[in-house]
Amino acid sequence: MENQVKKNHAIKKTVSVLTIGALAVGLAACGSSNDNNGGNSGGTNTAANTGSSTNAGGAATDSGKKVTITFQNIYPDATSPANKLLKELVAQYESEHPNIKIELDSLNTDQQKLKLKTQAGNKEIPDITIVNPAAQMKPYVDAKLLAPLNDMLDQNGLKDTFQKGLLDYYSFDGNTYALPDGNNIEVVYYNKDLFTQAGISDVPKTFDELIADVKALKAKGITPIAIGEKDTWTGSFLFMNILLRTNGGPGFLQDVLDGKKDFNDPAFTEAVDAFQELVQAGAFPEGATSIDANAGGNIFKTGKAAMFIIGSWETGNIDASSVAGKVGAFTFPTVNGKGDLNQFMLAPGSGFAISANSKHLQETKDFLNFFMTEFPKKKFELKDAVGVGQVVEGDFKAAGYSDLAINILDLFKNVSGGDLAFDNTMNPAVAQAHLSSIQNLFVQKVDSKQVAKEHQDAFAANK
Amino acid sequence: MNVLKVPKLTIAVFVLPCLLLYVSMVFVPILFSVYNSTFQWDGLSSVKEFVGLENYKNILLNDPYFWPAVRRTLMYAVFSMVEIPVCLLFAILINRYVRKGNTLVSIYFMPVILSVVIIGQLWKTIYNPLDMGGMINGVLHFLGMDSSMKAWLSSPKFAMYCLYIVSLWQYFGYHLLIQFTGVQNIPADIYEAARIDGAEGFKADRYITLPLIVPVFKISIVLAFIGSLQAFDLIMVMTGGGPAHATDVISTLMYNNTFMSNKYGYGSALAIVLVIICLVFTVLINTIFKRVENKVS
Repeated sequence: MENQVKKNHAIKKTVSVLTIGALAVGLAACGSSNDNNGGNSGGTNTAANTGSSTNAGGAATDSGKKVTITFQNIYPDATSPANKLLKELVAQYESEHPNIKIELDSLNTDQQKLKLKTQAGNKEIPDITIVNPAAQMKPYVDAKLLAPLNDMLDQNGLKDTFQKGLLDYYSFDGNTYALPDGNNIEVVYYNKDLFTQAGISDVPKTFDELIADVKALKAKGITPIAIGEKDTWTGSFLFMNILLRTNGGPGFLQDVLDGKKDFNDPAFTEAVDAFQELVQAGAFPEGATSIDANAGGNIFKTGKAAMFIIGSWETGNIDASSVAGKVGAFTFPTVNGKGDLNQFMLAPGSGFAISANSKHLQETKDFLNFFMTEFPKKKFELKDAVGVGQVVEGDFKAAGYSDLAINILDLFKNVSGGDLAFDNTMNPAVAQAHLSSIQNLFVQKVDSKQVAKEHQDAFAANK
Repeated sequence: MNVLKVPKLTIAVFVLPCLLLYVSMVFVPILFSVYNSTFQWDGLSSVKEFVGLENYKNILLNDPYFWPAVRRTLMYAVFSMVEIPVCLLFAILINRYVRKGNTLVSIYFMPVILSVVIIGQLWKTIYNPLDMGGMINGVLHFLGMDSSMKAWLSSPKFAMYCLYIVSLWQYFGYHLLIQFTGVQNIPADIYEAARIDGAEGFKADRYITLPLIVPVFKISIVLAFIGSLQAFDLIMVMTGGGPAHATDVISTLMYNNTFMSNKYGYGSALAIVLVIICLVFTVLINTIFKRVENKVS
């Protein structure tokens, strides 16, 4: 009996030790186990694909064959226009091509990013997936996971429907690897009623005016600027707009990458100081760092905050919220007299990319070609065409778009340049260091030189 | 084992499937992580640069967030383990003074069956600033203690303690249930015999309950310890490790490095470090308990 108990204990001990081990390692290991195999089969797949795409004509006539295309996307919300567009276009294509079945894998943005990373570790990415522009998609391109789309872009003039220069963010060495679902700019949305309540007659044109307005709003008990900084990109996006001004124009991060500047540059510390001035003036909701991005936006959309500094993609959502009709938009003010009001933080959208290892490469390309050709028309129909990355034909006003939408479209017309978000420019490790460094500014005052040093150290360590 | 007259082959046949499954699901991933931890790798590309023990060196010497994360992880463990004696005390009291102790214990157990995401959202509302309906701040405001009101989860100083409290609250019922069952399982005739010998109340607890509860107590301690080293989901839901790493524990640090910063090798090395910490402390706890067991019994 005694022995039995001891043995049981020993077993229990081992089991508990192993269980911890398993749980601890499970997370980090899940993507890796198949790597070698995956690599090999990926290789053979590519070979098979080049074979099949050369005689694509033959395959296409062989149309009795059932083909299933997996379409991973970031439009899970069934009430959103984007989700409707997706379903309608897919249904239309399936009815026109009875042998094609399109399987949707709809996830929210963060889940999709994580799932794709895990899938990519096994070289098993879906036929169509979503990647983010520039630096964020580069690892996928470098790992040769994405198929070049040049042939499909040229085949029926699809390429010319995109705004000039937009595809550059998705192109590497002359090949385009993804097609964007939009092209947005960062603007300041403001609630006209709340501005009036605080006695503000005109939108701020300079940073000092912005600070004064923040204080006026705060004095009336109104949250000046809505933000959800638990999702750290929100604060970074705002900070980068200040940097765009203090740097006197775009290109600061590019200069750092090219070795012409570093983060200790006065333009950077000045931006940090300005940002802290906003925080100190009480511009943001209390406890901002534990509010997630959606909840942060809702502070504005429920009329509790006066401003919302975010990408123009929010236009449709604001028009659908309780503050619809009360909202206007303006461009981010100059900071200490620096910067150009017509330069914006640019937000080229998420891009649809095709797996290089897709078993039905040609069919997938054909579908995506159809999808992107119809995309702007459908968007326009669904009153969601503000910030579409393609040329949209049609009269917005006549089609019943809101004043806010027209206001935003007017801002678009003035865009004379700008910068991409931090995580679209720098590699993920540097971006993470930056994001948490900015988040820190929300909760404590930090010497701007220290912030610069944190950035520079992270940059040097993760080149 | 020899007393069982079963051929070794039969034993092997019955044990093997599970063993294989276990090895493939547990040991192989650990070995893969060990292997990956010696590379600088983004988790995507086919290019892996072998760096030997460089990742470990960086974790232990150069990562400004690692040691604070270790400290928080261990604090988490300490808080969870300190809770157990309290649970035992409650178990004894409930067993002695409450008529239908089972019902009460079941009520205490309820938070355990709730999903951590729900718990996280619930407590976020409790900790929220006043204008977002935060309950604690509401109470403070009501009491006129406005100066103590805070955005609890956004305060680098308090956020971590706020998380400890949620965990303690959630798992109180769990450990209470274990201890309660342990206390109930002590045969009543021992107490009766003790009463004849003049041991009642606290004396009976000291000489009967405590020695007999030690094995159950140990299970609770080990579970609490393991549970707190794994603490991940609650932190992810409530603070995401922020503000600015103020609530990072080893597991969230590992997650952020692996998946957010694309430092797969580095993340794997962190995982291995976590495994080693777990091993060391589990062995330590077992040794301590062996001594305690010998002493009290």
